[in-house]
Amino acid sequence: MNEQLSDFISDKNIVMNLHARTRDEAIKDLSFILQKNGSVSDSDNFYKDVLKRESMTTTGIGKNIAIPHGQSKSVISSTMLFARNDQKLEWNSLDGSKVDIIFLMAIPPDDQGDEHLRMLAKLSGKLMDDAFVDSIKKASSSEQILKILRQQ
Amino acid sequence: MTKKIVAVTACIAGIAHTYMAAENLKKYAKKEGYSIKVETQGAMGLENRLSQSDIDDADVVIFAVDTTVQEADRFEGKKVYKVGTSAVVKDGKAAIDNAVAQVE
Repeated sequence: MNEQLSDFISDKNIVMNLHARTRDEAIKDLSFILQKNGSVSDSDNFYKDVLKRESMTTTGIGKNIAIPHGQSKSVISSTMLFARNDQKLEWNSLDGSKVDIIFLMAIPPDDQGDEHLRMLAKLSGKLMDDAFVDSIKKASSSEQILKILRQQ
Repeated sequence: MTKKIVAVTACIAGIAHTYMAAENLKKYAKKEGYSIKVETQGAMGLENRLSQSDIDDADVVIFAVDTTVQEADRFEGKKVYKVGTSAVVKDGKAAIDNAVAQVE
């Protein structure tokens, strides 16, 4: 996914120092960043759609990682944000762990499989790879995160 | 003989869990030395589609799904182990072990 990923992931998709105190606050702050980035037209509406998805089953997939995602009409084009929060947040995770690594995915409702969606799917699969997860956790700068994501 | 596994993964949105569950099944099947093919039924449609001979030759079928399996008639007469995608994401080893235990 090299070339395509570098096309749509840049340092504005990486948030290394999120200061959220709750899950909802994290999603709200990140939704706002997506709006600022021009990926989402209405951050409040997107936030609600992400919470709606979250209420069905948790997206806390374990090992301190969550992948909240919203298929929302407020999304202009499929994208993602990577965030590291400065404290671990309660997320009802599958393994009970608290979350400080967040991959927020934003997808428009009619996306039937463009390249971005394909990359989000691939990225999801990579989260099952322990070596990938370890390297993400060890990375200390947005440059390093970008490098890891682009290597995939 | 090496156990042959085929699996279908599908979640509600078809974006994340479908693909995480697929990778986790492959990861743990490989660790146990089983052969596995996984069809994903996600937002991009049916990918890595299982052929009828893949299905016929399989010792066990895993449906890791939160929704209905498309073209389920292909699996008629097969032993199916059904589980949710979250359970597979949480514990891929248990999903593989439970499925194989069903045919042993």
